[in-house]
Amino acid sequence: MQDFEDFVALRSQALLRTAYLLCGGDKGAAEDILQDVLMGMYSKWRRIKTSPEAYARAALANSAANRWRRRSRRPEAPLELGVVPAARGHEQQVVDADSVVRALAQLPTRMRAVLVLRFFDDLSEAETARVLGCGVGTVKSQTSRGLARLRELMGEQVLTWS
Amino acid sequence: MELKQAMEAATADLDVRPGFVGDVMAGGRRRQTRRLVTVTAVVALLAGATAGVVVTRTTEAEPADSRVTAAPTGPFAGDTDLLATARHLWTDAQKQPWKPTEPVVEVTSPPNVFWTGQAMAGPVALVAQEVRVHNSARPATLVGLVADGVVVSREVVTEETKSREAGLYRFGPAGDQYVVLTLGKTVSWSWKAVRGADGRLSRSWASAPGDANGAVYTVAQLSDRPVFVRGDSVPKSDDFAQQAILGSGYYPQGPFMPHPGIGWNGQQCATDAPPQPSSWPGMNVPTAQQELQKRALLDYLVSWDSAGTWSVCAWLPDGRHALMFEAYGELYGVLYRPDGTFSAPAFGGKAVKGQPAVLPLPDGQGTIVADFNGYLGPQGREHAWLAPAGTKEVTVVQQGVSTVVQLP
Repeated sequence: MQDFEDFVALRSQALLRTAYLLCGGDKGAAEDILQDVLMGMYSKWRRIKTSPEAYARAALANSAANRWRRRSRRPEAPLELGVVPAARGHEQQVVDADSVVRALAQLPTRMRAVLVLRFFDDLSEAETARVLGCGVGTVKSQTSRGLARLRELMGEQVLTWS
Repeated sequence: MELKQAMEAATADLDVRPGFVGDVMAGGRRRQTRRLVTVTAVVALLAGATAGVVVTRTTEAEPADSRVTAAPTGPFAGDTDLLATARHLWTDAQKQPWKPTEPVVEVTSPPNVFWTGQAMAGPVALVAQEVRVHNSARPATLVGLVADGVVVSREVVTEETKSREAGLYRFGPAGDQYVVLTLGKTVSWSWKAVRGADGRLSRSWASAPGDANGAVYTVAQLSDRPVFVRGDSVPKSDDFAQQAILGSGYYPQGPFMPHPGIGWNGQQCATDAPPQPSSWPGMNVPTAQQELQKRALLDYLVSWDSAGTWSVCAWLPDGRHALMFEAYGELYGVLYRPDGTFSAPAFGGKAVKGQPAVLPLPDGQGTIVADFNGYLGPQGREHAWLAPAGTKEVTVVQQGVSTVVQLP
């Protein structure tokens, strides 16, 4: 299991970032689901070690969705809105960064997962569909609506994507 | 701002908490064990319905180093207060930054006392703890001794370095107490080498049979040159070729420590090389030391200051060559045949700081006289000179001051 431990040691930070976004900025929850996913991978390692990262990201997306489901659709606690400084500088970048997490937190979990997998983890529409167990059409529509919603939520801060 | 860029900025400072990897590994093992237990139980129950099978729990996965989970042994094994105190002191010491020799990234198991003993000032305990290190992907073990209310010394043992684990701890106000791990071998210890009339040394040895997680406690004055050896058998009295255990005291404590011997550094030659030397006399002082140790002529070298950091070579009139060095404040030499094999030893008496070193060679080959940075002999050779046989005195000029050295 040395290679599994290596994987955990080397990739946990990157996976935590995905989990953090999937959880809408809740770091504690992100660590919890990441630890849960990785512990579950331990016994499956021989089967999944050819593409552990893809497995982990899919499991994180599903765990994040299930987590909210288990919480009885309780509304997620949004991060406290900060005051936007007048001048754009380093502080503005921080605000932008926080803003995107706050905006993500307000999206439905499936829509959020689509955006995180597509734009943060760089998965294709087909890969995203496979990970989330839905059709490519659903991914396309969720992406389109999600981006539009992000624009609304982030107000004057214009986000672009490629 | 690009969406991806914003997401990356939002997560740039994120990292998992200390101990996360260890928690995952431990949790993964626990889950697998539970799963195995469940499967075993189901199978056993199904079989037991007809055959009466007893369901037993499978064991947890074994750690890489059994000391991490081994039950304590020794006279205080049942003293829960002492064990708790040792663990507390051990953990408390980790509030200090790790030393450069301790490449620990995180501790991944609680500390475990696996041995206790009675020392002069009170109980002592050996503690082991699994850690992750940055120079190895495999779990490593942090092992050390708690004595006199402090962690005396710690050692990081990785899978790659476990064959080189020292397992030797020196402690006490006078630094004269030792705990030595057996590591499954026989630990032998000895002090006071005795030189016989024939010039050969001998040591008497005591020993303790090895067990996996055992340890030996003993007291010996530094001046008695205690030597510890870990092996399959007890060394013979004239065996000076065993690999002695080198504890942390083998290396100087601190960034710079002046050598207590003559204090010279480097290698010099007392003669010019012949036009076509059959072989280089070499500066390989460790090899020369081993040649003498194999013949019980030089004691074990078990501390950084036991041997000098200089040597002098010389090509001899009969075609041999010689190497002169300092150990334990005495001057030694080895003569080699032209083919590089050992020929004869040489002894030069005391090495005294500030005085030229003099080594008479056997078989009428002359005398090596050395005084680094000085000028010696009739030609004023720098650093060292081979005085021909029959030479009674040598003039040495050091920093403009001329002195005459009488030769034996």
